[in-house]
Amino acid sequence: MKTKVRQLLEEGRVDAFLAYKTIHGVPFPTLFTKENVDELEEWAPFKARYPVTKILLAQARQNPGKTFGVLVRGCEERSLYELFKWNQLSPDKVVVLGQACTEDLALYCECKKPFPDQLDYGEAPAPVPRSRRLEELEAMPETDRLQWWLSHFNRCIRCHGCRDVCPVCFCTECSLEHKELIPARKLPPDSSFHLVRAVHMAGRCIDCGLCEETCPAGIPLRALYKRVNDLVENIFDYQTGVPDGKSPFSMLGDESFLPAGPR
Amino acid sequence: MQNPFEPKILAFLCNWCSYAGADLAGVSRLQYPPNIRVVRVMCSGTVSPHHVIHAFQRGADGVLVAGCHIGDCHYLKGNYMTLKRMKFVQELIRFAGYNPERFRLEWISSAEGVKFAEVVRDFTEKVRSLGPAPSFEASPRLAMGL
Ligand code: SF4
Ligand code: SF4
Ligand code: SF4
Ligand code: FES
Repeated sequence: MKTKVRQLLEEGRVDAFLAYKTIHGVPFPTLFTKENVDELEEWAPFKARYPVTKILLAQARQNPGKTFGVLVRGCEERSLYELFKWNQLSPDKVVVLGQACTEDLALYCECKKPFPDQLDYGEAPAPVPRSRRLEELEAMPETDRLQWWLSHFNRCIRCHGCRDVCPVCFCTECSLEHKELIPARKLPPDSSFHLVRAVHMAGRCIDCGLCEETCPAGIPLRALYKRVNDLVENIFDYQTGVPDGKSPFSMLGDESFLPAGPR
Repeated sequence: MQNPFEPKILAFLCNWCSYAGADLAGVSRLQYPPNIRVVRVMCSGTVSPHHVIHAFQRGADGVLVAGCHIGDCHYLKGNYMTLKRMKFVQELIRFAGYNPERFRLEWISSAEGVKFAEVVRDFTEKVRSLGPAPSFEASPRLAMGL
């Protein structure tokens, strides 16, 4: 990591590079420039995860002329693809170096692609194509599933952590704060809170799982959004987190691909 | 004594076809149940999944969205969007544990007054048989499994 990032900075290909620095034994996302290039460390696999592309987005918005580099995992690269597609970041202003995740992280995440396309560091572990958590939920009878979700939804403390950490939540005005749709000053919020967020994650969530990890109430949000995007894939044959295509909800007209079957 | 359950159904009808179809049903004095409340929208493509969720949030037992037949939308392809969104939202509510039959999407033209009355009759009976919709209202008690 040291050499590649140093080279990018010194050749002027990036103005700053978002990587990690160990503080008290824990890697923290850190912005490296020519000034602190000597503090760069050697790459080694680690488990800590951060919304790095969200940090990148904030930096890019503040410094529109600058080019940034970033070290990404599989899911973080997927979020970059989405941010490009949704016109939040410009691909020619971002330089990517990639790292693979460890096998146990992949298993924990039930991750379909635990490595980025651009792989510079580490060995790609085997993908985990099936989600056991999701299959269990699918197998539940409808009424049980409702009770199951309600028992989780009703622990929500409305901290908005799930939204704030999400690398593909980029809106400046948020439907979760719509006072009619999700009645204000109610704790826990009504179920519409979670359903509205699920609608917004359709065709967008890249399954990083940060929302679920952040949630202080331990709500299994990842399963909800995983399912939402399975739906998008099944109905529209569209996958999130890949470089090509556009969300079926973002376009009308000839480009639109209608679901198959009788209408 | 408790009153028998009367379902509350909210219908989003597109101005050019389905609303006109409803109007025709009225003018033709076709009978259909009074459980339906209509929101007229310019095109069914303007109905967002939010509107459907909001309707349930506010206590609807069933939600109907109706627009022009595919190919007949007055904004050409507005109802393509309707189809995409509504198919998705129906599956979403199913996964959340709500009965997807509480939601219905229909194509009703301005000439189909009879179809409109039939859809309303049929849907009202369906929702009546399902009983009141589970509330979206939060309840901390549920979090404790009570
Ligand atoms: S979802 Fe988990 S395993 Fe997959 S790339 Fe991200 S951190 Fe790695
Ligand atoms: S898993 Fe959660 S945090 Fe990650 S993209 Fe999806 S909704 Fe956002
Ligand atoms: S992070 Fe959890 S508790 Fe906080 S708003 Fe999201 S779902 Fe609710
Ligand atoms: S105008 Fe009727 S569906 Fe678009």
